Amino acid sequence: MERNQNASRRPWIRKTAMWTVAASFGLTALLAGCGGGNTGSDENAAGGGGGANNGVIELKLWHAMGGVPGQALQHIVDDFNKSQSKIHVTAVYQGQYDDEFNKWKATQGQGGKDGPNIMQVYDIGTKFMIDSQDIVPMQDFIDQSHFDISQLEPNILGYYSVGGKLYSMPFNSSQPVLYYNKDMFKDAGIAEPPKTYDDVLADAKKLTKKGPDGKVAVYGIGLATYGWFFEQMLATQGADYVDHDNGRTGTATQAVFNGPEGLKIVNWWKSLYDAGVDLNLGPVTSQTQNAFLAGKCAMIIDSSGVYGNLVKGAKGKFEVGIGPLPRPAGATGGTIIGGGSLWITKDQPKAQQDAAWEFVKFAASPQEQAYWTETTGYFPITKAVYDDPGFKDWLKQYPDFQVAVDQLHSSKLTYATQGGLMGVFPQARQTVQDMLQAVLLGKQQPQPALDDAAKKVTDAIKNYNLTVA
Amino acid sequence: MQTAATKTTMPVPPRRHMKEMVAFLQASPFLLPALLLFTVFFFYPIVKVVYLSLYLTNSKGVAKHFVGMQQYVELFTSPDFIQSLRVTLEFVLLTVIPGVFIALLLALLLEKQIRGLSVFQTILFSPISMSVAAVSTIGLMAFNPSVSLLNWILSNLFGIPNINWLNGPWTALLAISIVTIWMNLGFSTIVLLGALRNVSQELYDSARVDGVNALQRLYYITLPSISPTLFFVFVVSMIGSFQTFGQVNILTQGGPAGSTNLVVYSIYRNAFFNFQYGLASAQAVVLFLIVLVLTLLQFLVVERRVHYS
Repeated sequence: MERNQNASRRPWIRKTAMWTVAASFGLTALLAGCGGGNTGSDENAAGGGGGANNGVIELKLWHAMGGVPGQALQHIVDDFNKSQSKIHVTAVYQGQYDDEFNKWKATQGQGGKDGPNIMQVYDIGTKFMIDSQDIVPMQDFIDQSHFDISQLEPNILGYYSVGGKLYSMPFNSSQPVLYYNKDMFKDAGIAEPPKTYDDVLADAKKLTKKGPDGKVAVYGIGLATYGWFFEQMLATQGADYVDHDNGRTGTATQAVFNGPEGLKIVNWWKSLYDAGVDLNLGPVTSQTQNAFLAGKCAMIIDSSGVYGNLVKGAKGKFEVGIGPLPRPAGATGGTIIGGGSLWITKDQPKAQQDAAWEFVKFAASPQEQAYWTETTGYFPITKAVYDDPGFKDWLKQYPDFQVAVDQLHSSKLTYATQGGLMGVFPQARQTVQDMLQAVLLGKQQPQPALDDAAKKVTDAIKNYNLTVA
Repeated sequence: MQTAATKTTMPVPPRRHMKEMVAFLQASPFLLPALLLFTVFFFYPIVKVVYLSLYLTNSKGVAKHFVGMQQYVELFTSPDFIQSLRVTLEFVLLTVIPGVFIALLLALLLEKQIRGLSVFQTILFSPISMSVAAVSTIGLMAFNPSVSLLNWILSNLFGIPNINWLNGPWTALLAISIVTIWMNLGFSTIVLLGALRNVSQELYDSARVDGVNALQRLYYITLPSISPTLFFVFVVSMIGSFQTFGQVNILTQGGPAGSTNLVVYSIYRNAFFNFQYGLASAQAVVLFLIVLVLTLLQFLVVERRVHYS
């Protein structure tokens, strides 16, 4: 009896195992198929490394550019590799900015081996990178080879200069703008993108549509609770994020974003949400991009660097328009130039550092920057690009992008628009994002939420300063 | 003989000491490899974590500034950490009890020998072969607010309006729980199924002779017989739920507003994002103590009801 049962039980085990293996293979293949659009080939999947091989210097470039920008960066790297035969750069996509930055922190001090030779870091990682002392200041290379930085965009230089020195080379520079669905605007009878907070609320109400079942089918705006937007909105009102002139005249010791300017932003945000015209999809902007492209919301705020992605995604569906970042009526500040810059790591032989500098120079050249802007929507870092005939033609073809360029050029360089400088900026941004969510979900009132967030950031700054000194 | 015996019991004689020493020396080479591994991967990290929890660290994890118990005080006065603990407990309740219950139901169903059963078994067990990342990515698609199949089914078949799963405080935790239960279901079911198949057939046979109905059979024979395994699955699921990380990292990053900020995720966040290894270590110590106490409680209270044959 017992033996009989065992015998009858065994075949299913084998069958189950076979089916499981087959099913998981199928699933893996399916997922691999869905995961397309990743940059780089298989050989790029390896982590760090770099070194000399047959006289060719191998360099690893870590970056955080997915989608269209990722392909464009690969194109620049290929251009560089083709332009000469002594240096070979491999671009390695390491996930989004945060992920890439955290991987770097984990391999810090191993530049030549497991880490990158060249590292793209987001704007808010600047202070951390300098404090880490694991990088070679870009200024050293600039001075050595008498590289002319006067051709660089002054606002971009303003952000990345610390104590009159450039520690990294600006690469992908962007500002947040308002993207809108031109077709939906036309249907709603709105001629122009909204410029002030009140306009946004009024237009969003007009654009919000309910389906036959009474549920909202199209939201007026899809505002990601992304901390970067909050930082930018402070700057448009001329307000600082941290003390000591935004950390520009001394080490920041305290967060100050909980003033009346910060309150204005949060109140406005909440009013949109409470009116039922804001689609809240959390802090990740790819979510709002998808919703925008799927026609679920008529406006989004996002980086000018996603222009290429959006135009491509909306092709054949609707026309994408650009408006300036909305601000409270009467606010006279500017926007901060965000994005990323390229850093050269310290723990690698001098020959590799020099080779890395060659690539950095190449990526900053007007020719590559023109290509970069035309494909992605990131701003060119050198002014020379605006005189490039090819670029002028491109601007004629996409006149909306001029709005973004004007926004950049009309921003006066102040401590507010230079952007805050502190070692714990990624954490601060996260704290602000949580604060925004807490307010939208009604867990906290705007002013207490802001005060709490500011206190948390201040505590983090204090701890950081204690461990750096 | 007797005199010798009384002599040997009162003060421990040198000869027995020697015997023990020899036995220990003989055993130690065999124990050494295991001890070494435990020391490197278990004891040393524990000591190091306790040590780091008393310091502020720099971004490379080097202890820089002694603060004593300050970070523990900070933790227990921080509403964020209290919320994190509360959410973790909710999550454990939401995953362990339904998870074990569903697994038991499925195992009972699968124990029957019906035609085509292997297909169902395969479907149920297949999540075992998938990584957390893959399962979470599937979850991300299922709960996507713009193009969610799950929402489509809910609204078209059941008339439930679109749910913004990952951005509502309760629904986000629910979404992560659903993904977790689904992911662990295969393992729990397979272990319980193994136990069910080991229940002595003689017990069932004699029960049938006594005219016992199905429910009685389940309650008086099956459950007591598999109780050691049930207990094992329960403890393992609980510890697993306390240590949940991947699903949170991929689906919600702890949001919205900290409502899915499970303790392990918040440890990761503090250690590898905010680079406050000290604070993260203090959190880890607290989590360790909580899991330790709960596991001990389970052994003390629940195990009494477990029947080992």
